[in-house]
Amino acid sequence: MSVCCFVVDDFQYFQDEGHTTTKEPSTRDASFFCLARCGTIRNDTKGILNMIQVQNLSKIFRKPIRGKGLVGMLATLFSRKYTEIRAVDDVSFDIMEGEIVGYIGSNGAGKSTTIKMMCGILTPTSGKVLIDDKEPYLKRRIVAKDIGVVFGQKSQLWWDIPLIESFKVLKEVYQVSDSDYEERIQFLSSVLGVDEFMNQPVRTLSLGQRMRADLAASMLHNPKILFLDEPTIGMDVLVKDKIRTAIHALNAKYHTTVVLTTHDMADIENLCSRIIMIEKGKIIYDGPLGNIKRRFGNIKTLTLTIPPSVDPNEVKPFSEDVMMELDEDHKDKVMLKFDADKVVLEHIIQYSFSQYHAIDMKITDISIEDVVKKILAQQEEEHE
Amino acid sequence: MSRLRKYKPFARASAIDVMAYRFNIITWAIVTVAEVACLIFLWLAVYQSSEGGIDSSINGFTYKEMIVYVVLTTIFGFVTFNDDTVWFINRDIRQGTIGNFLIKPISYRGKFIASNIGAFLMMSLVFGIPLYAAGLGVLIGIGYLPVASIWDFIAHFLLFLVASVLACLLNGAISYIFGILCFYTTAAWGLNALKTTVIAFLSGTLLPIAFFPNIFREIVSYMPFAGMSQNPILILMMKYDYLECGKVILISFGWWVLLELIGKLLFNHAIKIVTVQGG
Repeated sequence: MSVCCFVVDDFQYFQDEGHTTTKEPSTRDASFFCLARCGTIRNDTKGILNMIQVQNLSKIFRKPIRGKGLVGMLATLFSRKYTEIRAVDDVSFDIMEGEIVGYIGSNGAGKSTTIKMMCGILTPTSGKVLIDDKEPYLKRRIVAKDIGVVFGQKSQLWWDIPLIESFKVLKEVYQVSDSDYEERIQFLSSVLGVDEFMNQPVRTLSLGQRMRADLAASMLHNPKILFLDEPTIGMDVLVKDKIRTAIHALNAKYHTTVVLTTHDMADIENLCSRIIMIEKGKIIYDGPLGNIKRRFGNIKTLTLTIPPSVDPNEVKPFSEDVMMELDEDHKDKVMLKFDADKVVLEHIIQYSFSQYHAIDMKITDISIEDVVKKILAQQEEEHE
Repeated sequence: MSRLRKYKPFARASAIDVMAYRFNIITWAIVTVAEVACLIFLWLAVYQSSEGGIDSSINGFTYKEMIVYVVLTTIFGFVTFNDDTVWFINRDIRQGTIGNFLIKPISYRGKFIASNIGAFLMMSLVFGIPLYAAGLGVLIGIGYLPVASIWDFIAHFLLFLVASVLACLLNGAISYIFGILCFYTTAAWGLNALKTTVIAFLSGTLLPIAFFPNIFREIVSYMPFAGMSQNPILILMMKYDYLECGKVILISFGWWVLLELIGKLLFNHAIKIVTVQGG
């Protein structure tokens, strides 16, 4: 049993027992990128590349302040005042070749803005991004060959033509050779099942099919880096699973570096060895997922629907480890938050049925928003 | 050559688009025949009321030449300028689809050049050949367009083809610049209307540039617009000798290079300020 620990910044990075350090450290291992961050492993050693370097990156959006009503509108014609929004504020991190990194945060935290700067759509206000040592917004067309991008909310396929035609266009645009194209289509068909709807126009595809198609399209030219902006948004469980399996398969087969944003904790648990968490444009956590779990425990929420005859305030929560929250708008709901490692699930469920006379119940994992809240709260405590 | 190959799908797509809208020719024909008829009668009235009557020459154009000019300009406009560049750019900006192009290893302008050329080739093939054949056939047949030497005519026709391609590129470049202005304003409709009017007026589509007042005429004839309609038509009408043909083609080419440069600089500035909607 070996537990090794490196102290970087304020965080401690642990390596789990059982994972012994191999001769060629997997980039997924927490200890490895920790070493890289310490500066002991450089780009030129062991052939492992620092695929993405983000250095003091900031993006400020200027929004004109509009006055109210017609007079205010006319006034803005003559004098313009702007509010500055720091969407991304002095962000730095490195991502190694072959890593799968979850870039997470609540809505409007600056995730997509960072992704857009990394793929060259937006130009940073200050700081820089290096993709394989090239700045994407300056060398757009060169970097574009190395990256694949999927925006969950926006398809980049041609709406009216069959999927296969879109693929053929992309084949020409990225100048993929015939043999590579065949090989990739076969691989993508096997992991994403795109062959099922290859001859349908994209507009006739379901959301899940379209996402699989978009993912396949972004992989045709075998990019070194794949940026996925909410790839599982709005998908059902089966499609989510298919997409996750595919991302794993791509990563394993082509050693593709993957950066993905998501609101789904399950995506992160299934895919990411490392997470970077951003809130209000600043990075609040960068490290392996395991650490977060270790810091906050395996938090679950049990939501009960109770009959009106029961006053939840009169019932003692199961134990001291259980936090009870009530919803003002839904008087019939009680939320019990607890650490699943400390409280036996079976016991608390039995307790809830007997004491709260629960009619219905639902168990959910901790949400990203909750994790963000907890980290922020903890950081404030540390400051005090 | 292989670098150009990746633009082929865009040329092909717009060529296919032309075929999809091929029945537009019917509505175009109805409107255009009426328009041309009006213009013929208008010019008839102008020439009849002039001092020398119908056989006089106004600003270097006889009545017959004027009719040839009107007919050929109309066909030329239909075949050469068929682009929705401003609308496409505006849509890409408003809907954020511009991001899809920015992440691809292609030039945004290159994509538009490819689709302009694709549409132009298809239009020329499907409509250009029959329309020019019919138009020129009739005009030469009734003696409005005298052809002294067949070789002279063929040479001018080939020069006209070169000038046509340049006209298509010039129109595309100007549309692109107007399109990029949509990054700075939401007034796409106004920009497009402005573009159409400026081109129609200054290119000699409404009226040959020779009819403009002195200094203005000199200035306009050196602007890029003259190469977009009047000059190709006057080449085809054999109103220019070979030296003049070479001169106007060179001027057009120079303008095209310059406009592409302006478009590129403008685009490079515009994408720095782009803010893609939706977080």
